[in-house]
Amino acid sequence: MNCYKCGCRLSEYDFCPSCGADVVLYKRIMFTSNRLYNDGLEKATVRDLSGAIVSLRRSLKFNKENIDARNLLGLVYFEMGEVVSALREWVLSVNSRPKKNIAVDYIEMIQANQSRLDTINQTIKKYNQALAYCAQDSRDLAVIQLKKVLSYNPRYVCAHQLLALLYINSAEWDRAYRELQKCIQIDTNNTTTLRYLREVEEMLMPEAAAKNGSRKKSAPMKTVRYQSGNEMIIQPMNVKEPRGVSSLLNLGLGLIIGVAIACFLILPGRIQSAKADINEQLRAVSEQSDAKTATIDELEQKVQRLSDENAQLQTEISSSEVTDDHLAVTDELMLAVGAYLSNPDDIEAIAGYLEALEEKSQEEDAERYQTEAYQALYNGLVEAVSVKLESYYYASGYASYNAKEFEAAIPDLRRAYQYNKKNVNALFFLGVSYYRNENFDEAKETFAEVIDNFPTTNSASQSKTYLAEINNMEQ
Amino acid sequence: MIDFEEELKKFQPSLEVEDAEEAINTQNQEIDMATVLYRIMEEKSKKEEE
Repeated sequence: MNCYKCGCRLSEYDFCPSCGADVVLYKRIMFTSNRLYNDGLEKATVRDLSGAIVSLRRSLKFNKENIDARNLLGLVYFEMGEVVSALREWVLSVNSRPKKNIAVDYIEMIQANQSRLDTINQTIKKYNQALAYCAQDSRDLAVIQLKKVLSYNPRYVCAHQLLALLYINSAEWDRAYRELQKCIQIDTNNTTTLRYLREVEEMLMPEAAAKNGSRKKSAPMKTVRYQSGNEMIIQPMNVKEPRGVSSLLNLGLGLIIGVAIACFLILPGRIQSAKADINEQLRAVSEQSDAKTATIDELEQKVQRLSDENAQLQTEISSSEVTDDHLAVTDELMLAVGAYLSNPDDIEAIAGYLEALEEKSQEEDAERYQTEAYQALYNGLVEAVSVKLESYYYASGYASYNAKEFEAAIPDLRRAYQYNKKNVNALFFLGVSYYRNENFDEAKETFAEVIDNFPTTNSASQSKTYLAEINNMEQ
Repeated sequence: MIDFEEELKKFQPSLEVEDAEEAINTQNQEIDMATVLYRIMEEKSKKEEE
């Protein structure tokens, strides 16, 4: 700090060490100015830009040569979108200290880009035009102008506030709320903004505003809540979409990271999972295959067992058929016995049944059916009717013999001898019938039997003669 | 309740670039406390010399 009179550097004493001037009040003025600058700096640091402007302007009221305070005031104006006010402060700062002043850089930064300066000027003109529209009650045009202003200069707090006021006037509370939130983000403790915001919150959420009004004013909300019809809309705040090249870079980086995660983290897991699934399916298929193999083996065994049973049943069926034959033979015997029992003198019918039985008995396996009971019954029947049968067949055979029907006589005579082995005539005439029918072999056997069984009879002598004739014929 | 017309009166036209020079001159002529003190002390010393 230098003496206001001689410019000498002051000490801790209340007078100038060079000229002896009283500097008590001067020091107090300088200290007050510096303290107010510090206060403004603190407020600017926490984005209380309105409060910072007040403190800095007061600081400059005490000492308009406080370069730091003036430069900071210009910076705060610039941050609030009031570029001309900022330029004014920086120009004054440069006038006070032309060298080693950051304000020079600030001015050069703005003046270097002429188009930007023109845009700023146009923005200010549009804002003033919007203000004029408001005065003329053309509020729709004012809203349009203010939207254009904010598209060029989004940090223009006064424009946000004026737009919010217009929205409040037209009862568009949610839009007003959004504009005021943007103001809060730039200047956190602007009295006008907070007053408008309280009004809007009371309209949007009357109950919540009554309970938490003061707290909400001090702390910026993280979300926007408002009523739209019957629905409560909750809109997140401070969410900004990335723009320009950075967004593309972020997108590309995200894609690369995503692909890398897919390749190194997700894909192996998926492959492992797929392998596990395949192994599980393979195991299930193997189990099914084993089960089917076991089923096939069981079915094959079943088929084999059924085949055996079938063969056994076929055998039984065959046996059953044989039994039918057996029954047929037995039936013939039964019929013969029945005929005898019904009429013992009907020897012709009995003979007919016995002849049929005789034909059956000559078939293959006939002996199998002739059980002991069968034989006993048959023998009993033959014993009962043998005499009559012998007479019946002998009479029939001899009649055929006399009629020289030797072929027809042969069976009757053979049966007559069969039922009575002592009937030598029946046996002899049977031999002659064979002879006359030129069955010489049978004739020789028959004559031989006559000779053997009845050697002293006349028939035996005649049989010898016939045998000699047959032998002569064969020689 | 906010009175729109009253609130509207609080909004002043912003300084345009063309008006910057005049504004600078006006503000440059403003007197601060240090200047006031300097002038008082100067007048006081003149009186003492007389």
